[in-house]
Amino acid sequence: MSGRLGDFTHSEALTLGVELELQLVSRRDYDLTRGATDLLGALDYDGHFGEIKLEITESMIEVSTMPQARIAGIATDLRGLRDTLVRHCAKNNIAICGGGTHPFHHWADRRICPGERFDQIYQRYGYLAKQFTVFGQHVHVGCTSADDAIWLTQALAEHVPTFIALSAASPFVDGVDTFFQSARLNAVSAFPLSGQCPPLGSWLEFVAHFDFLYDCGIVRSIKDLYWDVRPKPEYGTVEIRVCDTPLDVNTATALAALAQALCRYLLRTRPLLHAERWQHVARYNKFQACRYGMEAMLSDPVRRCQEPLRERMLALFDALAEDARELDSTAWLDALRAVATEGEGGAVWLRAWQAAHGNLNDVVREAAERWMQGDAAAA
Amino acid sequence: MVGAALSLPMAGALDNLQRLLQLPRRFWEQAQEELFFLPPFPEQIDSLALFSLLLVSGLLIGESLHVRLRWPRLIGYVLAGTLFGPSLLGWISIEALGQVRPIADAALGLLLLEAGRRLDLRWLASNPALLRGALADIVLSFFFIYFFATAVVGMVPAWAAATAAVTMASAPAVVLLTVEEAKAQGQVTERIILYASLGSAASFVLFAVVLGVVHTELSHDWLNAVVHPLWVVAGGGLIAWLVSRFALAVAGRLPKRSLAQVFILVASALFAVGLARMLAVPVFLTLFLMGVLLAFRDQQQVLKYTELPEVHWLLAIILFVVIGATLPWREFTWLTGLYALGLLGARALAKVAALYWSGGELAPAKRLLVGVGIQPLSATAVFMAYEVAGLYPAVSRTALLLPLFAAAIMEIAGPALCRLALVRAGETDGARTETGGKQ
Repeated sequence: MSGRLGDFTHSEALTLGVELELQLVSRRDYDLTRGATDLLGALDYDGHFGEIKLEITESMIEVSTMPQARIAGIATDLRGLRDTLVRHCAKNNIAICGGGTHPFHHWADRRICPGERFDQIYQRYGYLAKQFTVFGQHVHVGCTSADDAIWLTQALAEHVPTFIALSAASPFVDGVDTFFQSARLNAVSAFPLSGQCPPLGSWLEFVAHFDFLYDCGIVRSIKDLYWDVRPKPEYGTVEIRVCDTPLDVNTATALAALAQALCRYLLRTRPLLHAERWQHVARYNKFQACRYGMEAMLSDPVRRCQEPLRERMLALFDALAEDARELDSTAWLDALRAVATEGEGGAVWLRAWQAAHGNLNDVVREAAERWMQGDAAAA
Repeated sequence: MVGAALSLPMAGALDNLQRLLQLPRRFWEQAQEELFFLPPFPEQIDSLALFSLLLVSGLLIGESLHVRLRWPRLIGYVLAGTLFGPSLLGWISIEALGQVRPIADAALGLLLLEAGRRLDLRWLASNPALLRGALADIVLSFFFIYFFATAVVGMVPAWAAATAAVTMASAPAVVLLTVEEAKAQGQVTERIILYASLGSAASFVLFAVVLGVVHTELSHDWLNAVVHPLWVVAGGGLIAWLVSRFALAVAGRLPKRSLAQVFILVASALFAVGLARMLAVPVFLTLFLMGVLLAFRDQQQVLKYTELPEVHWLLAIILFVVIGATLPWREFTWLTGLYALGLLGARALAKVAALYWSGGELAPAKRLLVGVGIQPLSATAVFMAYEVAGLYPAVSRTALLLPLFAAAIMEIAGPALCRLALVRAGETDGARTETGGKQ
C-alpha cells in the first residue's frame, strides 16, 4: 500500500538518468538573464536526447537525459542536449554555462517562471524561491524494488560528501569568494525540508513517514522533500541531489558513472548500515565537504574518528574498480580519481580564472566557453 | 543651432517677465549705489541654475506621471519642456536653450554611445533572421515614408528623402531609457534594442547622403555636395576611431569595472562630443560610431562590462526637457498635424510589416511586439532635422515641420508604445503577478 505516494514504478536495475540545471547568461555582461520561456517557446527539438524544461526562475533551464542502461548513453544524451541548447541559445544571444551558483547575480532581479507549481513554490517560500536560483545535477539510479530504493537512500547517505567534493563548482556568491568549494547547498539548506532522509528500513516505513508528514501539513508531494538523497517512486529510482552542475558535460557524465558503480557495489556487497549514527554526523560532514572540498575532514560515527575525505575517496575508487569494469565506466571513474588526486575541481578552476582576470564577468565568460566548446575544452 | 532655428520667441511672455522684474531691478540698482560689492542686476539666469531648474521641473512632471498613471518618465520630461518652453509659458527662452545645448549634446552622445556598444554584430552573424528583419525595417520604413512625403504631402524628392532619412529610424535613446526604466529582459527587449541601433546606423548613413542631395538640389554646389557628406562621415569616423583607441588604451591600464574606468569612459565620450562640436560633425553620429568601435575593438573585454553611471539619467532628463522645449508647437497647423500622423502611420505599418514578415524563431505575436517597440522617434530625428535645416534655413522651414511634428507626436506616444510592447511581452519587472506571502 503506497497511499498518497502512488506505486513505486519498476525500473531496470542500475539504469541511469541525469538532470542538469543550467545558467542562462547574457552575452553582453555575462550576468544571468531572463530567457527560459523564450528559449523553450521557440525550441525546434524532437526530444531525441531527453527533455529540456523550465526551472523555478527564468534564468535557469533544466535538461534531463533519457533513461540509459550504460554510461555511454548518458554521455551521448548530455552532449546532444548541450549541442541543441548551444545552437539555439546562439540564435537568441544567450550563453549557457555550468557551475553551481552564478558568481555575481542579484537574486532579487530574478523572475519566477510561469506555471502553477512555480507560483506555489514562490507563494510558499517567498524570497527563498528566488534565492533558489542555484544549479545542481541530479543523478537517478534505477531500482528493481521500492525496498531497494529505500535501502540505497540510506546506504548512499554516507557518500554524500564524496559527490559534493567531486562536483563542487560554486565558490562565488553575490560577487564575493565564499571560501566554500560548494556554496550552492547553503541556498538549499534554507528550505525546511532539506537535509537527510531519516533512518527508515523499508518502503512501508517510508510511506508511513510520508503520510505522517502529509497529515501534519508539511508535505503535499514527494517533490517537497529536498533531501540530499531521496527515492523517486514515479521513476522507480533513487535520486542523488547534492552535486553542483559541473562546468562541462564530461564531469557530469563521470559523476553519473560514479553513482551507478557505487550503487552496484552497495547492492552487491550489502554492507551493514549504521543509518542512525550517520544521521548524527551528516550535517557536519556535508559542511566539511562544501567548505573544504577534497581537503575536508570527515567524521566516522562508527569508528568514532576523523579521516580525510581524499583518502576515503581514493579507497572508494579502489573498491569500485570491479564494478566500473562491469559497467564499462572505468575511464570515467579514472577521470574523477584524477580530480580527487590533483584537487583540480571546478571551484579551483573558477578561482584560477578569477585570479587571472580580476573580475567575475570574465570568469563566467570562461565558464560559458568551457561549457559550449564541448569535449576538447573539458579535457 | 537649435536656438537659431527657432526664430519665433515668445515676445508676450518675455514682456510679462520684464514687467515682473522691474520692481526688483529698481531696488537692486538703488542698493548698488550704497553696496559697491553688488554685481550688475543679473540679466539672464546662470547656466547651473537653469540646469537644476530644468532638472527639477522634468523630474516633478515625469515622476508624477509615472507614479499616478504608470507612464514612462520620458513623457513627463518632454511635457515639462513643452510646457515651460518658448511655445507655451516661455519660461525657458531660446537663449537659455542655447545655453544648455552642450548638456543636451552630452546626454544624447552618452546614450548613443551606449546604443553603439549594444550593437552586437556577433548575434547578427549567428541569426540570419535578424539581418533580414533589420534590412526589411530599413528599406520599408524609408520607402513608405518617402512615398508618403512625395505622393501625399507633395514634397520634392530631395526633401522627401531627407524626411525619410530623418524619421525612418527608431530612437535608441528612448528605447534604452524605457528598457532600463521597466527593467525589461528577454528576446523582445533584445531585438528592440538591436533593431533600434541598426535602424539608427542606416539612418545616419542615409542622412550623410541626403546632405549631399540637399546641397545639389538647393545650391547646385557640387563641391559641398560631395565634401560635406564625406566631412560628416569621415570626421565622425575619425573622431570615433581616435577617441575609442584612446579610451581602450587608458582603460586597459586600470582595473576592470573600476570607478576609474567609468570615469575614463564618460570623459572619453565627452571629449568626442567636444571634438564633434568643434568640427561641426553631428554628435549623434560620432558617438554612435565610437560605441560601435569600442564594442568591436575591445577584444580583451577592457570596457565591455563597464556601465554608464546613474548620472546619465540626470543628463537624459535635461535632454528630453530641451527636446520638449525645442518642438515648434506654435507653428502647429491641423494640416501639418494630419500629415505628421499620416507619416507616422506609414512608418508604423512599414516597421510592423517588416518585423512580422522577416520570420525567425520568435513567435509572430512577439515579432509584432518588436515592431511596436521600435516605434519611438525622437532625439536624433529632431537633431538631424535641425542639422539639415541649418544648411538652408530660409528654404527648409516648411519641410522641417513635418519631421518635427512627427517627432513631437512620437515624443509622447513613442515611450508609451515601447513600454506597452515590453509589458505585453511579459519582459518587464513585475509584468507577471508575483504574489508571495500566502500559505
